[in-house]
Amino acid sequence: MAKGVKIVNIWKIFPPKVVALKNINVEIKPGEFFVILGPSGSGKTTLLRIIAGLEIPTKGKIVIGDKEVVSVEDGVFVEPRDRNIGMVFQNWALYPHMTAYENIAFPLRLKKLPEDEIRKRVKEVAEALGIADLLNRKPAHMSGGQQQRVAVARALVKQPDVLLLDEPFSNLDARIRVTAREFVKELQKKLGITTILVTHDQADAFAVGDRVMVLRRGETQQVGIPEELYNNPANVFIANFIGDPPMNIYKLPTSHKIIKSLDIPSEIGKEYSEVFIGIRPDEAVALEPNNEGHLEGKVVIVEYVGSRRYAKVDVDDGVSLRVLLECNANHGDPVKIKVYKLHVFAPEGKRLTTITY
Amino acid sequence: MKKAFKLRKPGLLGSPFKILILNFIAWIVGVLWITPFIGIFMTSIRPFREVVIYGWWAFAPFTFTLKNYIDALFNPMFSLGKGILNSFIIAIPSTLIPVSIAALTAYGFARFSLPVKKYLFATILFLMAVPQQMTIIPIFFLLRNLHLLNTYLGLILIHSSWGIPWITFFLRNYFSLLPVELEEAARVDGATDFQVFRKVVLPLALPGLISASVLQFAWVWNDFFFALMLIFDPNKMVVTQMLPRLKGQYQVDWGLLSSGSVIAMLAPLLIYALFNRYYMRGFRGWAMKR
Repeated sequence: MAKGVKIVNIWKIFPPKVVALKNINVEIKPGEFFVILGPSGSGKTTLLRIIAGLEIPTKGKIVIGDKEVVSVEDGVFVEPRDRNIGMVFQNWALYPHMTAYENIAFPLRLKKLPEDEIRKRVKEVAEALGIADLLNRKPAHMSGGQQQRVAVARALVKQPDVLLLDEPFSNLDARIRVTAREFVKELQKKLGITTILVTHDQADAFAVGDRVMVLRRGETQQVGIPEELYNNPANVFIANFIGDPPMNIYKLPTSHKIIKSLDIPSEIGKEYSEVFIGIRPDEAVALEPNNEGHLEGKVVIVEYVGSRRYAKVDVDDGVSLRVLLECNANHGDPVKIKVYKLHVFAPEGKRLTTITY
Repeated sequence: MKKAFKLRKPGLLGSPFKILILNFIAWIVGVLWITPFIGIFMTSIRPFREVVIYGWWAFAPFTFTLKNYIDALFNPMFSLGKGILNSFIIAIPSTLIPVSIAALTAYGFARFSLPVKKYLFATILFLMAVPQQMTIIPIFFLLRNLHLLNTYLGLILIHSSWGIPWITFFLRNYFSLLPVELEEAARVDGATDFQVFRKVVLPLALPGLISASVLQFAWVWNDFFFALMLIFDPNKMVVTQMLPRLKGQYQVDWGLLSSGSVIAMLAPLLIYALFNRYYMRGFRGWAMKR
């Protein structure tokens, strides 16, 4: 039976005064695939290690199912071995002196299960993961993708309540990575196991996550389903961090003519003298100059990303927007830009409004 | 550490002049090192007369004989065979005991935190520098009070305690080179601290453990000083104590003495040869990774 994970007021301060995590609160539902996304140094791995019990928080508590596994306030600490979690490490951490079979059997051996039960369960999980023919090999004689599957098998074989994955795709080639993501996602859905994955890669996060939490410098920025993070970024950081190609973001005075031509509500102009505006490249188009649009400019570069064409358009001094190109303009040609969706952020970063045209 | 190795610029090593100089120095050191050994070996396989008259380096009359070896092994007064047996009785436990204990302390120093860890470790390092001669009188009285003078156990305990500090130092460095994720993975997989140590750390540290054991074994085997001070029953004497007794009362029988030396050397040599592969790996790992 899948169990949920509650993260309550978690702080982690590394002495003397590096604050790795600042008051993290989140509730992960049973059976959910939850992704913690953040750039390096955001504290995401520290949080995962605290859940695993490899690190002790400075404040706060973690509850798995209805059992407190760590609580600084109540003086509770359950050893990693007693938390019934499975974990896949970034470099997979397979025991190099053991064969794949021995690696997978290791957690069961520690539980002192009878040998034929161990054999049965290792076989089962190995077949499910398609590594049954590798069982006699040592890690040094396996490819990255194979090692990863063995590591996943080792984490799953003891039927854990929660599966923790620390950057499981970062050591894989781009091509294998796509298959590995699908494979992990399918497996998770089939087993219905509560899974927490840590990554710095938004593509990983969006490919597998039911919900994504974005961390930055130890602080939660936003928690939500991928669409929500993309459509309604809570602040400039998320807006900038998520989306590829990245959102066009500029800080402009509210009296600026671009702001004027984008019809931003007048209350915002009264309250702030400067705001950030954000336009996703996929939510604005460059058209022939005789069309209607919000802004005018000159094409600087045309670039192809996949099947789409983007134009970088100089709109004003120091402001150039990357938008979808929907006409035959080339370098130097004038275009009109029609904006479909605009995000406005306060100078300190918080989102004020999103305008759809 | 890796950087230090990059200092060996390929161009520098590649220059013929450099190779010549390096070879020259290496050969001189090598020859100086091995000459006494060859001398002892030559003396041991020839009749004493021949060596005394012509010198061991002369090849002109060369008579091969094993008489020296037979005499040394089956000397009715001082049995070298008995000495070798005693040496094994001392050296094997004096290797296993400190390596097992030091492995535990070293792992503690490498991975666990305790209040005065740094100072404790510094103390251990400092004590390694104390010469044996400074400690022998208190050791003598200690063993006498424990009624362990002139016993195998007494000498084993002294060798073991003398070995623990340096093996701790050696293995701590080795353990701290092992990737910590493997130990964390084992903890998550359900292992207790001791299971992590026994099932993951020890097997991975095997080259380091073997290196330390080989060194400690050779060291105990070659020890003369502690044995001389603490063992005086001729039946319990170790091989290094037996050797000088072979030289005779009035004239030195160099043939006998050198064949005895060669026999005494065999055990550590065989151990080195047997574990050479691990031993080299242990040192490579110790010196380079980090």
